[in-house]
Amino acid sequence: MTALLTLDYVAEKMKEFGTAEQVRSNRIRIRTTPERVSNAIQKALDSLGCDRLITISTADNGTTFELFYHLIGPHRTVVSIAIEIPRDQPEVISMSGILSPAGIYERQIHDLFGIMFRGHPGLKKIILNEDWPADEFPLRKDWKKNPDTYYGGIKVERT
Amino acid sequence: MPIGPHHPALKEPVNFRVIADGEKIVRLELDLSYNHRGIEKAAEQRDFIRVLPLLERVCGICSHSHSSAFAKGIEEIMQIEIPPRAQYIRTIIAELERMHSHLLWLGVAAHEIGFNTLFMWTWRDRELVQDTLEEMSGNRVHYGMNEVGGVRCDLTPHQVSTALERLPFLEERIYQYVDMVNAQQTLLLRFKGVGKLTREEVLKYGAVGPTARASGVDYDARRDDPYFVYTEVPWNVVTDTNGDVYGRTCVRIGELRESASIVRYCLENLPEGPVRVNAPKIAPEGEIFSRYEAPRGELAHFIRTNGTNKVERVDIRTPTLANWTSVAMCLVDQNLADIPVIVAAIDPCLSCTSRITLISTPGRKPGIVTFDELRKRGQTYCQEQGPP
Repeated sequence: MTALLTLDYVAEKMKEFGTAEQVRSNRIRIRTTPERVSNAIQKALDSLGCDRLITISTADNGTTFELFYHLIGPHRTVVSIAIEIPRDQPEVISMSGILSPAGIYERQIHDLFGIMFRGHPGLKKIILNEDWPADEFPLRKDWKKNPDTYYGGIKVERT
Repeated sequence: MPIGPHHPALKEPVNFRVIADGEKIVRLELDLSYNHRGIEKAAEQRDFIRVLPLLERVCGICSHSHSSAFAKGIEEIMQIEIPPRAQYIRTIIAELERMHSHLLWLGVAAHEIGFNTLFMWTWRDRELVQDTLEEMSGNRVHYGMNEVGGVRCDLTPHQVSTALERLPFLEERIYQYVDMVNAQQTLLLRFKGVGKLTREEVLKYGAVGPTARASGVDYDARRDDPYFVYTEVPWNVVTDTNGDVYGRTCVRIGELRESASIVRYCLENLPEGPVRVNAPKIAPEGEIFSRYEAPRGELAHFIRTNGTNKVERVDIRTPTLANWTSVAMCLVDQNLADIPVIVAAIDPCLSCTSRITLISTPGRKPGIVTFDELRKRGQTYCQEQGPP
């Protein structure tokens, strides 16, 4: 374990990608754009000493989808790289080439939010069943269960 | 070759599509879709009082982990400080849960290699831990101890003393397991060199928990991101350098020992005072990334609140999901016959419940049966039945 990263240090290293803010003593967040996320993560791995991805968190705020890439390293500071992607064109580059664990999280997000990850080697269903309708994404805020849609499993005859 | 979703070696539904060249595994594809229950969506529609019991049911083994990770996150957003006695009780339950989970794992791993004697022994010892948990919380699986602002039940001096009486026996048993793992040829032959992951691979594939610590990667959220009373209690992060199933066994047995000493310390140094504070019904707008070291590894809850009494979003990353990538990688070039033990070595927890609690029997008057009555009833029933 090494010393915690300071906000100034992270802000200096990552200044080309966006502003950094300290959410808590060991949480630093950098907001960037979807085009630069790949470079930002590469830079965090190279110069901030991060060595692993904890998870990719997703949230739907009604107007955009927010993605948070939570990275950590021997300094034990969670460096979160946050991006927002538009709801009408939910697409972002896949991180599975740089960080292998991202692959499984991206498949999960693809299932539940319908976000496309460009360049993902096998964006197949993992969390939802294989006969789940292709255009329904249950964790989107505007999703409602449609009584007439078949969501997979054994069909129940309604009388 | 398809393995699962219903396979005798794995107790939970998961489907592997294994591509093999003769006996050697070339690639593994996974399908985890048999257990999706929509808990994250359901959590958005419940208030904080009702969401904790729901989150406990994410997993039947690490139920306390999920409710603790959420409760400590929400408490941080609400900026409330929970009383020290509640912190100690949460730690006790968390470590007892780790002990019962690791004993369960040791039994399952022994069972996978056909060593059923060890399986029976560990599960018998696990009953002691389960009894303690049941006495403290009233439940064996979903303890329901946490609530926003503290814990639900206080510990009586009688509960503390019975728990302390059980610890020496458990510790003695744990030392026997250490000896057994180092001496039993059956274990050594099946565990050594199987499912090996180097330190670099663990970091690359993002494995967590005992799987990572067995390869010398000392990530432990209890030390890295301290919560509860882990800064006050003397304990060590257990690591190993073997990196195979044997190493993971050693780490888990070492953690059993550490957990037993944490429980002892907390029980002996339990501070006096209240066990909960009144928490507000609504949380201010905020966001928290709450990390917790569950028995299987690091658990992460991403919680966002919107100023109401419900969460805007709760994103749960369970340790098993993080470990799948490393499993898929370390299976490559291994024998087909080693799949169960390698998969079992990460202690996969897809969603599990081990039993249902019945309060009333159909046709009879509903009533609550105390634990001692239930045990007596079981013993007399078995005596009446006689040997088979």
